[in-house]
Amino acid sequence: MKVNRKWIAALVIGAMVFGAGCSSSTEETSTESAAQTQEETTEEAAEEEVQEEVAENDTTSEEVAAENVTLEEGMLIMSTNATFPPYEYYDGDTIVGIDADVAAAIADKMGLTLQINDMEFDSALAAVQTGQADMVMAGVTVTPEREENMDFTNSYATGVQVVIVPEDSDITSIDDLQGKLIGVQQGTTGDIYCSDTPENGGYGEENVQKFSSGPLAVEALKNGQVDCVVIDNEPAKAYVEANPGLKILDTEFAVEDYAIGVAKGNDALLDALNNALEELESDGTLDKIIGEYIHE
Amino acid sequence: MTGEVMIEVKNLEKYYNGGKIKALDGISTTIHKGEVVVVIGPSGSGKSTFLRCLNLLEEPTGGQVIFEGVDITDEKVDINVHRQKMGMVFQHFNLFPHMTILKNMTIAPMKLQKKSEQEATELAMRLLKRVGLEDRANAYPAQLSGGQKQRIAIVRALCMQPEVMLFDEPTSALDPEMVGEVLEVMKQLAQENMTMVVVTHEMGFAKEVASRVMFLDSGKVVEDATPKEIFSHPKSDRLKSFLAKVL
Amino acid sequence: MSTVMLAISEKMAQWLSTTPSWLQNAPEGIQNIFYQLYQTWIMNDNWHYFTDGLKVTILATLGALVIGVVIGVLIAVIRSAHDSSRKKPPVALRILNALSKLYLTVVRGTPMIVQLLIMCFVVMVPRGQEELLRCATITFGLNSGAYVAEIIRSGIQSIDQGQMEAGRSLGFNYGQTMRYIIIPQAIKNILPALGNELITLLKETSVATVIGLNDLTKGAQIIVSTNYTTLVSYISLAAIYLVLVLALTKLLSIFERRMKNSDR
Repeated sequence: MKVNRKWIAALVIGAMVFGAGCSSSTEETSTESAAQTQEETTEEAAEEEVQEEVAENDTTSEEVAAENVTLEEGMLIMSTNATFPPYEYYDGDTIVGIDADVAAAIADKMGLTLQINDMEFDSALAAVQTGQADMVMAGVTVTPEREENMDFTNSYATGVQVVIVPEDSDITSIDDLQGKLIGVQQGTTGDIYCSDTPENGGYGEENVQKFSSGPLAVEALKNGQVDCVVIDNEPAKAYVEANPGLKILDTEFAVEDYAIGVAKGNDALLDALNNALEELESDGTLDKIIGEYIHE
Repeated sequence: MTGEVMIEVKNLEKYYNGGKIKALDGISTTIHKGEVVVVIGPSGSGKSTFLRCLNLLEEPTGGQVIFEGVDITDEKVDINVHRQKMGMVFQHFNLFPHMTILKNMTIAPMKLQKKSEQEATELAMRLLKRVGLEDRANAYPAQLSGGQKQRIAIVRALCMQPEVMLFDEPTSALDPEMVGEVLEVMKQLAQENMTMVVVTHEMGFAKEVASRVMFLDSGKVVEDATPKEIFSHPKSDRLKSFLAKVL
Repeated sequence: MSTVMLAISEKMAQWLSTTPSWLQNAPEGIQNIFYQLYQTWIMNDNWHYFTDGLKVTILATLGALVIGVVIGVLIAVIRSAHDSSRKKPPVALRILNALSKLYLTVVRGTPMIVQLLIMCFVVMVPRGQEELLRCATITFGLNSGAYVAEIIRSGIQSIDQGQMEAGRSLGFNYGQTMRYIIIPQAIKNILPALGNELITLLKETSVATVIGLNDLTKGAQIIVSTNYTTLVSYISLAAIYLVLVLALTKLLSIFERRMKNSDR
């Protein structure tokens, strides 16, 4: 059984890599207002996406009774985009990382079984709106536009947006970005900030090239297809480590808070998640998980 | 026989499947200018293959076809030049459906013999008048009956002013009532001393028009004689039984 | 958190106050859909993502079709000439034929998106939208060429063998018979299939989003990633593609009818 699952997962991952460009269009089947509903069945979604069971159902968990605040009884379905080390990435067939571990700890607290569905970043955000996932954890930064369409928990981690450049680049600080070709991951805050008009502190749509994943943006940087990549600090470190000849600028591009996104108006789940987060913070679990992945 | 040699066939062979099937098994004959040779035989006897080898639509496996003194089976020979002088009429007409009747007839003379459009059209109209279809010059093949199509196919070949005409079962695909009009055109041609090689099942035509009848069976010439001898005094048993079936 | 929620409601309420009264009295679900439509198309002039993307999509599609037809005709002629050769084909033709076969095998045997990733990140390494468009167009053209070649080849093969024999028996050589007799007839069979290829191409160009080309699909993705109006943005996107495809289908059927009529 377990083996079969792994094979199916591997096949689906393969299919998703090939179909990456179109996979985000699978969400349009919903016929109701996407931002409001969450009663859509998750069956199709669950079948289509990679399924990873990270936490076992632990009924001995103390408080925070999960009185059916999730889509499927006893399950906590999380959508993510597992190309974002160290927050979420594949270790073999398993999605690991800060977000995955925090989610597992939350599920533990709530007495639920965690299921992680991997998809593109845009789709991961959309999945909670269309009722395909209970929550999105993908290094999501809270922005006013996002808040308009979904609700966010309190922040559980701090992200820093940095600039990756080639070692011999003439870009030495973020002041040099004007007029350069900037690579970003489609839909990330780096994308949103950079694509904004110069009056609003961005660099203009025409100077930003949007890739479907961080590694592709870094690949383009190596090829000289873009001059720099603006991306979250932690994955940036991992990319630079894996690709000699790249460096991270000392000046930070932006500092922001990561939070868990849920469907708009789902206050019960939001409260449950916030309570769980609070506990994890006070008992030191949160710091412990982050410390496991980020060594200063 | 009258006249000079038009086509000389020497030991013509056509094998399929690496020699397992012998469609033509060593055929030799001489066709003189002005002769009307009718080839008869049971189906599968190789008569169509023989005809198609004469202008190399079918590549012979062995032997020679010498047309007007030139061995056209020689690879160095430009077969396209010689085919211009050998008109061919097919069982299924093979008119060009995307062209008018006139265009069907003029395209080859214009492109290959560099005739002017006027010259080619005049010749075509003259020929059309002869077969009584001049009013259909601007029609498309799909608008014609089978008999009309075959008459057009004959005059299309004649537009190239060939030295010899090859007929591959020209009436086999026709409704019975249309056979006559096509045979009539062929008879006229014979009377004008056109050299003709005709593969057909029309025994009446063979009796009446042929100067010589070749009976083929299993890729071999079994009998080759005047129509009178063939039909009145068949020698071989195979020809006798064939005639018994078709007459 | 509640203050934020209020601010948003205000934003939507503010928008609602500018709308006709029937919408203001409509159920919340309807209002939401209309608000999403507003966010998708009107707010921040978002429609320009669709129009700009549409331009890129159409350019890539037409460019690819032209490249595809040129390659397709070349390959089809090489393959047909090789296969119908009476004697052993000359060395040059045999080499060209082998290369054509290799090309057909590789292009048809690998996914479009993989070809695109390789062309973009290994072969051409384009910089900026203009070069990206060129890279995508060439890749789609190379891909389409393989399919067009087979369309043309099967169009040629669909013509009765008797037509070739009739042409040859009149004294036309192989090339002349192709040119005057086979190709003009084959085109009638080829054009509808070529039309389908154009429609396939139009839809398939959407995979160029993976290399960062700002095409029509990317336009919708950008709107989604700024507004999170998933439902309306993607349905709008689908509607635009659908309208394009329907218009093309209509054009093609008119064209086909004309072709047929010219025969009678």
